[in-house]
Amino acid sequence: MSTFIERAKVTCALGGAIVTLSALPKAVPIVHASGGCAGTLSGTYNLASGYKGSGYCGGTMIPTSNIVENDIVFGGEERLEEQIINTVKIIDADLYFVVTGCQVEIIGDDAVGVTHRYKDDKATVLAANTPGFLGDSFKGYEAVLSTIAAELVEKKDVKDKKTITILGIVPGQDVFYRGNIREIERLLNQLGIKANTFFGDGETIEKIRNYGDASLTVVLSENYGIETARVFEQIHQIPYITADLPIGASRTDAFLHKIGERLGIEPAEIEALLAKERKYYYSYIERILDIYTDLDFQRYAIISADTNYAFPLTSFLADDLGWIPHIVVIHDDIDDLRKKEYELKFKQLGSETKPKVVFELQAGQLLNHVRKSWKYNQNDKYFDALSPAFLVGSSLEASVAQKLGAGFLPVVFPITNRAVLDRGYTGYKGGLTLTEDIISALVSDR
Amino acid sequence: MSKLTEGLTYDYLSAEAAPTREARIETCNAFGGSCNSLRTGMGTGCSKNNSRKFAQGGGCQLNLALGIVSSFQNVVVIIHGPLGCGSNNLGRAGTRKTARILKQRPTTTDTIWIQTNLDDTDVITGGIEKLRQAVLYAEQEYRPDAIIIGNSCVPGIIGDDIDTLLNELDGQIAAKVVPIHCEGFKSKYVATGYDSAYHGVLKKMVEPIQRYEKALPNELADSNEKYRHSKIVNLFNVGSTSYGDEVELSRLLTALGLEVRVLPLYSSVEEISRISEAALNISICATHDDYLLGHLKERFGTEYIIDTLPIGIKNTNQWLRVIAKFFKLEKEVEKLIAIETAQLEEALEPFKKVLKGKSVFVGGGETRIFTTGELYQSLGMRVVGLKPHNFDRFAIPMIDSIDDQEAVIDVAPGQPAEELVILSRLKPDLYVGHAQANAWITKLGIPTVPLFGQSFNYMGYSGAFELARKAARVLKNTSLSRKIVSNVALPFRPIWFESNPFDNIKEAKV
Repeated sequence: MSTFIERAKVTCALGGAIVTLSALPKAVPIVHASGGCAGTLSGTYNLASGYKGSGYCGGTMIPTSNIVENDIVFGGEERLEEQIINTVKIIDADLYFVVTGCQVEIIGDDAVGVTHRYKDDKATVLAANTPGFLGDSFKGYEAVLSTIAAELVEKKDVKDKKTITILGIVPGQDVFYRGNIREIERLLNQLGIKANTFFGDGETIEKIRNYGDASLTVVLSENYGIETARVFEQIHQIPYITADLPIGASRTDAFLHKIGERLGIEPAEIEALLAKERKYYYSYIERILDIYTDLDFQRYAIISADTNYAFPLTSFLADDLGWIPHIVVIHDDIDDLRKKEYELKFKQLGSETKPKVVFELQAGQLLNHVRKSWKYNQNDKYFDALSPAFLVGSSLEASVAQKLGAGFLPVVFPITNRAVLDRGYTGYKGGLTLTEDIISALVSDR
Repeated sequence: MSKLTEGLTYDYLSAEAAPTREARIETCNAFGGSCNSLRTGMGTGCSKNNSRKFAQGGGCQLNLALGIVSSFQNVVVIIHGPLGCGSNNLGRAGTRKTARILKQRPTTTDTIWIQTNLDDTDVITGGIEKLRQAVLYAEQEYRPDAIIIGNSCVPGIIGDDIDTLLNELDGQIAAKVVPIHCEGFKSKYVATGYDSAYHGVLKKMVEPIQRYEKALPNELADSNEKYRHSKIVNLFNVGSTSYGDEVELSRLLTALGLEVRVLPLYSSVEEISRISEAALNISICATHDDYLLGHLKERFGTEYIIDTLPIGIKNTNQWLRVIAKFFKLEKEVEKLIAIETAQLEEALEPFKKVLKGKSVFVGGGETRIFTTGELYQSLGMRVVGLKPHNFDRFAIPMIDSIDDQEAVIDVAPGQPAEELVILSRLKPDLYVGHAQANAWITKLGIPTVPLFGQSFNYMGYSGAFELARKAARVLKNTSLSRKIVSNVALPFRPIWFESNPFDNIKEAKV
């Protein structure tokens, strides 16, 4: 049984579906639910995902059936049909996608059936059941993308050995999703690999239709995107692997070796690329050496993140920046087996000290976990404090950082004290950006 | 008393939830026409059942209801529902913190909310046990003064009996336990959320201090106290009033010798519990708080002023006059108005020169847009259209304040598709709009001014000055909207721009 959550850093399945659709090229959600769902859920990401905004047809622009009490009693299928017809008439989109809220699912409206009955040569209209009670945003991401994989992506018998599909980077929930995708694509392109990214620059619905010729799906997550990857496997015979989000130098090395090995690319070719990237990377890292060493910018790192970010972020701080990974508090709602498996990842860290890893759903418990992780100050004359410390988390952790006297940079959703455009933290370039942001946070009061 | 509330009664507390706005007052959210035809339409009452063929996202009453109560100091809000309901707090918690700083309220605790995370099992078995655990967690972790529970659609439809549980817990823990029934599907008017919130507040949080006869009467002290109490007024703030607004309105009332308490947003639970102790309750927006003020009158006999929204010179004057009349300060208020308007008029001169003849379109809450429109009109601008989110008795008298009675009216909660077609034809020089509307208008190439904002001043005389200053400043450089219009597309098919947007409204059969 699931439990209540204090300040959950997710929305619901419908929210995840809406933000995923809004991130697809010229795709428009049609929300079959009460009047507030579309605007509220879209609005959450518009603000809390680094002010990413409404985009092409998000926020108040989202077409929705606006079900009211009367429809709850008599059913809302007719209203939905009317809304679909008029949306196609008025809104210019390459893909229309009906998603559902709790109200219509409880009363048993068959939104998918209504959508399938709707026929229009000029418009592609898909549908999925995405009521909030299905679970968190990641469930909505999976519902949308697995439907697209099953119903929109055309079957192809011949696969292209050097084409892969990237999953697991969830728009909105990953505040830096576009920047992150762009850098991964850039690195892969240099190895002659074409990446299907759904949300990256230059994608179109037409291109997504042709994702069936990929030879591998790479899920940059241990938990999210797997369901869609399985649909690609079953329907399109495309196998999948999982990999960690390649944040910074160490994780990018591991990522490219993993992909290269899988696609049969010569290790020497990978090494050549990495050497080039490394040279570029350290030519810039060199710039911060003076301030880092003169002012002793090594920190005890406190990380509060989801499973997509927790390990890659810790690895960047420990392996690339040379910080002490002290405690990692992860807020995903996953089962015990997955927690155990995830914890094992931290053994890979190159630092002499390995972090304490805690799974905690309640945002308010972070401070307690940090306090429990260190000897309590008994007013000793000589006390080895958890200091200097630096917290990397979401904007919700600002006050915890303040209470701990720690430096602070929000990197994980929600982020409301930074505006994010094309910034990303993946790859060597992302490592430089993240270093820049962290050092800037340390000197920002000057 | 107020003409605006004539015939309305406010004795609903024996019910679990407040009645919806559609049940309580005649109201409309789909109408297209002009000021003139709106007046006629409202007269026949036919527009209240209008609907749309193509609809876009409006709001949810849960957000408005919880927006009020989550501003209270040292409270925990629990959203009884799946993870999406109340998730907008993720975007708002930061702005809440800024608002607390701006309003000089304590910022020692974060805005805390808890979701009961209802899943598919709970839809079948009910979520009461999770709610109990959440309430106990809130009490144990935060020791709040109140734990306020917002009920969402899922428990509303499956019939979770939250009141029985919450009444039971109310007696067991230190915090006040307050249920708010604000299920989104119940009403198509988000303003119902205000009533839903105040229904819970009135039921559980208003506890006047019990007074006893004094053992040793002191005539002088008693009459002093009585005099002081006769001058205490509650000024009811709303989600969109800034600290600047509160300071300005308090300044004007203080000038009339009144002692002002600004309530209830951002107040402590203690302050709210004593909400009934005032000589007069003063509203600045009927749409927000007639349910609260009307009930306080019926229960405690406290008179109230529900009149206009004090934006612009005319409406600020009117608002002050009604209040002054209650205290028999008619002469004094004229003196105040004379001084204030003379100073202001002089200060406005340079802006009038810039704004004269320019056209403006205003969209947002009904009372706010008509008064804001009237202000810009008084500066020499032409109001060419208005888009109220809904329309009801509270704004009917305001229709007359618009000079051009053929100005376009689109009664629409959100619905940017309709609005953008209208604006593409009217091409106003300036758009003044509600949050979440302005970006779309920018894509049409029209410069915008936000209709409200927590760090700006809009109300009273200083607010009039600020609004004039703001419009003049925006027109000093309109490059952004001009660049955007040629580089960023709106999501419509060309045919939509050629259509009559009001054909989208389905007239209800009488």
